[in-house]
Amino acid sequence: MTAIATKPASRRKRTGEREPRLLSVFKASPATYAVLLVVSAIFFVPFILMVSISLASDQTSAQNAFTVLPTEFEWKNFTDVFTATGLPVGRFVLNSVLIATLSAVGQVLSSSLVGYAFARLRAPGKGVMFMIVLATMMIPAQITMIPQFLLFKELGWVNTYLPLIIPNFFTNAFNVFLVRQFVSRISGELDEAAQMDGLGYFGIYRKIILPMMWPILTAIAIFTLTHAWGDFMGPLIYLNSEESMPLALGLQYMTGTSNEMQLPPWNLVMVGSIILTLPMIAIYYLGQKYLYEMNLQGGSAGVK
Amino acid sequence: MSKTVDEAPGAARSARRAGRRTVPSRKMSSRRKKEAFYFWLFISPWLIGFVGFLLGPMIASVYISFTEWDSFTPPEWVGLDNYAKALTGDPVFWKALGNTFYYALISVPLGLVIGVWLANLLNKRVRGRKLFRTFIYLPTLVPLVATAMVFKMVLAPSGPLNELLGWFGIEGPNWLLDPTWVKPALIVLSAWGAGGATVLLLSAMNGIPRELYEAAEIDGASAWRQFWSVTFPQITPVIFFNLIMGLIGSFQIFSQVYILTAGGPDNASQMMVPLLFREAFSFYHFGYASAVAWLLFLVIMAFTLIAFRTSRSWVFYEQEVR
Amino acid sequence: MENKIRRRTLVQAAATAGVAVPVLAACGGGDDDGTGPLKMVVWGGDLDKETYQARIDLFEKANPDVKIELQLIPSDQYEQKVQTMIAGGDGPDIMQVAEGVNTYSSKSQILPLDDYAKDAGLDLEERFGPVGTLYSYEDKVYAIPDRSGAMIVYYNKDLFDAAGVEYPTAEWTQEDAKAAMEKLTVSGTQWGYGGAGWWPQWWSFAYQNGGQIIDDGGQPTANSPEVVTALQWANDLAHKDHVVPTAAEYADMGPDMGGDPAFAAQKVAINTTGFWAIGGLLEVDFNWDIAPLWRGADQAVSAFGSGLAISRDCKNPERAFKAIEFLTNADAQEVIIDKAQDVPANLEVQQSDAFLTPSWATTPLNMAAFGESADFIFRAPFIPQWNEMQAAFNDNLGTFWNEGGDAQTELDKIQTQLESIITD
Repeated sequence: MTAIATKPASRRKRTGEREPRLLSVFKASPATYAVLLVVSAIFFVPFILMVSISLASDQTSAQNAFTVLPTEFEWKNFTDVFTATGLPVGRFVLNSVLIATLSAVGQVLSSSLVGYAFARLRAPGKGVMFMIVLATMMIPAQITMIPQFLLFKELGWVNTYLPLIIPNFFTNAFNVFLVRQFVSRISGELDEAAQMDGLGYFGIYRKIILPMMWPILTAIAIFTLTHAWGDFMGPLIYLNSEESMPLALGLQYMTGTSNEMQLPPWNLVMVGSIILTLPMIAIYYLGQKYLYEMNLQGGSAGVK
Repeated sequence: MSKTVDEAPGAARSARRAGRRTVPSRKMSSRRKKEAFYFWLFISPWLIGFVGFLLGPMIASVYISFTEWDSFTPPEWVGLDNYAKALTGDPVFWKALGNTFYYALISVPLGLVIGVWLANLLNKRVRGRKLFRTFIYLPTLVPLVATAMVFKMVLAPSGPLNELLGWFGIEGPNWLLDPTWVKPALIVLSAWGAGGATVLLLSAMNGIPRELYEAAEIDGASAWRQFWSVTFPQITPVIFFNLIMGLIGSFQIFSQVYILTAGGPDNASQMMVPLLFREAFSFYHFGYASAVAWLLFLVIMAFTLIAFRTSRSWVFYEQEVR
Repeated sequence: MENKIRRRTLVQAAATAGVAVPVLAACGGGDDDGTGPLKMVVWGGDLDKETYQARIDLFEKANPDVKIELQLIPSDQYEQKVQTMIAGGDGPDIMQVAEGVNTYSSKSQILPLDDYAKDAGLDLEERFGPVGTLYSYEDKVYAIPDRSGAMIVYYNKDLFDAAGVEYPTAEWTQEDAKAAMEKLTVSGTQWGYGGAGWWPQWWSFAYQNGGQIIDDGGQPTANSPEVVTALQWANDLAHKDHVVPTAAEYADMGPDMGGDPAFAAQKVAINTTGFWAIGGLLEVDFNWDIAPLWRGADQAVSAFGSGLAISRDCKNPERAFKAIEFLTNADAQEVIIDKAQDVPANLEVQQSDAFLTPSWATTPLNMAAFGESADFIFRAPFIPQWNEMQAAFNDNLGTFWNEGGDAQTELDKIQTQLESIITD
């Protein structure tokens, strides 16, 4: 890696130029391009393989005779995946959408309110509470996995979406932290003026702060959507009937349910993988700049 | 709840530290009381969640870890037996712990090295930079389950990876079937996601003041030297953040293992969380599983602390100091 | 219950209407009074699902007031999923069980069925013969046999003829079998045998040698000389004698390859497995047949089977038992053979012409091999710790099967682990 970076800096000096001079360290040599091309290609191969397998015929699939570059184009796989697997794949997708959307709604509502309170309202004990918020970020979910399972069992929530959705309405430490950081940067003059006008605390939250929070809330929504959409372990524990499964779990079911003699329908599994992946790419592109916002806050501010 | 917190000794101190006002007067005005009331009201979603989904379960988890319990018959108090069993009587526990260390301690630094390297390349004036960045970031958008499915194919004995190695005359191993190679296989899978760190690092590099490089160039520093004396110190906070998050995340690896190897062959890819999951939901050893969870917690805490401790010597905080 | 429902409704309203409704309905439906559909879970693949469904259709036709919802769970996750369901208080009404039956019965997660059988006038001995009480724990029956058949030998007649080897019989010894495998192997392209890495396979050889995994007193004897010899023999077939494909060689044939697909692909000449492989072989373009397993000092072979049990979460066990009784009667069990799914446990069907000369057979098949094998089936130890026991074997034998090794060393380790599992 060093060889590429240390391409000798050229000594020319064109001091009279109007454009800022390109510093040698920012100069891209052919080697830079070569490396980037190769790495990008390597990173991209699994995608091509995914597409190639998803377009393979059932025969190719049964023989596992896949190639990296597509040689067949069985577009009907993209409809077969909904009809020919014996599993309610359309329902899987719908379930994923429901779980992810409601989880995001829950996180946005609760984290905005809690984060606002931590940023703006004064109360004795707030410091301690915030310390607790920070401390809970360290606790791995596995600690609470078993007691939570038993709790939700007692509540009769097993085999419903509730264990996957409801906790989101009680926010999580990381999102509270993000919102708090964000609101802290908003000038307090506005809310003070609003307070003069007789607006209550909820009014300030609702009318003044909330409308300004949307970049960070979009980021939180995207983050929650992505997480809930791809979550595997939660559904694995809580969802029992096929009709209730999200796609991430259903996909894994698809690899298991084939005839004993045959192999799993890999071509359809890959179609499913693509269906699972595409919305994530779409969401990312729609919300890219907000995520960037959160990354910056989480990335630099998060470790102080 | 609120009462005990009101009297908490740290309260006043923290309020002062936050730099908002001077020390609040002991007697609160009614406006202050109202504000405090709204504070507690507004944070109640978090507070309820904290007590109901975190603190309560944590306490329950401690208790369960001291019992032998299948959740059907009454729990039997066994004291520290479960911990003793994990640490002295269960070879699989140590194997899983070792595997998890192996995985975390290689995959996280490797991902960071790749991430820094690529970010440094992309930070140059590269034509098509956006496109390259997209290609490198794209894998991190693929849900883990889909990644696992694809890598089942990528890592097949005659799959693309071995084909690639074959071009260099290397005979690739049977990644997922070979106890020596199954962990490296999982690391390969994780390296595919190194683009996440790249993008974060790249944005940090973008923020480095140009003057620093200009000064370095006037001093005649080579690009290599500029990287180490200018770029690297400025991105250490991001590296550090990724290191911590990466470690915590990789100690909790589950889905890849569950889908690709089920912990095999010979437990060579058995990790802490899949082990815990198996003990709880296949064997109904809820007590033992809880003990394993707490041991995992200790490991994560220890690593996080070590990372924080050592960070002082290498993380550059100058900009952050308020 | 009232309370619980109200709480659900509240949360449901809070979480906005649409979501929870379908799922709550699916789970809560009729749980309370026991008149809703019965939930039944089974494992396997497409054919299994189709066959169970066909039998359920028969039942629903005869009992219009009872509905059964069938759910297929992938085989490799079945135990874990069902156990999680039961641990979550959402167990199925009817569930398929096999060797793991006593992991459930010993924890009272499934109901003893003797009384229900008596009330229904079902004589297990009469309907199923000696396997009638196979799924028992502490003298109570916990599952009604449903499918049952010995492991059998599949052999590729064309490859046997080409190599000039006599077809296998029950009188073959382990040495005869190995000699045949050697003749049937063409280095690098064809192997004599599909391998014996699965417990029903190599345990059969252990019992043929007079060994036992768990002795009659319930103590593990996994490292006894008989078992060690059998395991070493089975492993050497791949790594020393090279008459069985190694894991690497299998992997090169494609992912998820094993004895069954390799036999269908004519890569191996002999394969030992259950009835289910027949279905996939009806369309192949080579000649094949089945035979009983060869012998060692004794004759012994493992049996594949499964029964139907009722979980403790079932609200109306009488109704569930009625369904099980129907599903195991001659009419419903004939579907199992009509669909070429498996060997029905019902003796009447097993001895019928429908079984011995099945309509779907494209060539005459030696279906009597199943009846012949039935005489020397050994009883595998269905201990309550079955899953832990299997984990101990799998955990320790992975590399051994993949790369070869010393059976004594591995079995000593397993024995130590089994001792701690079983005394626990």
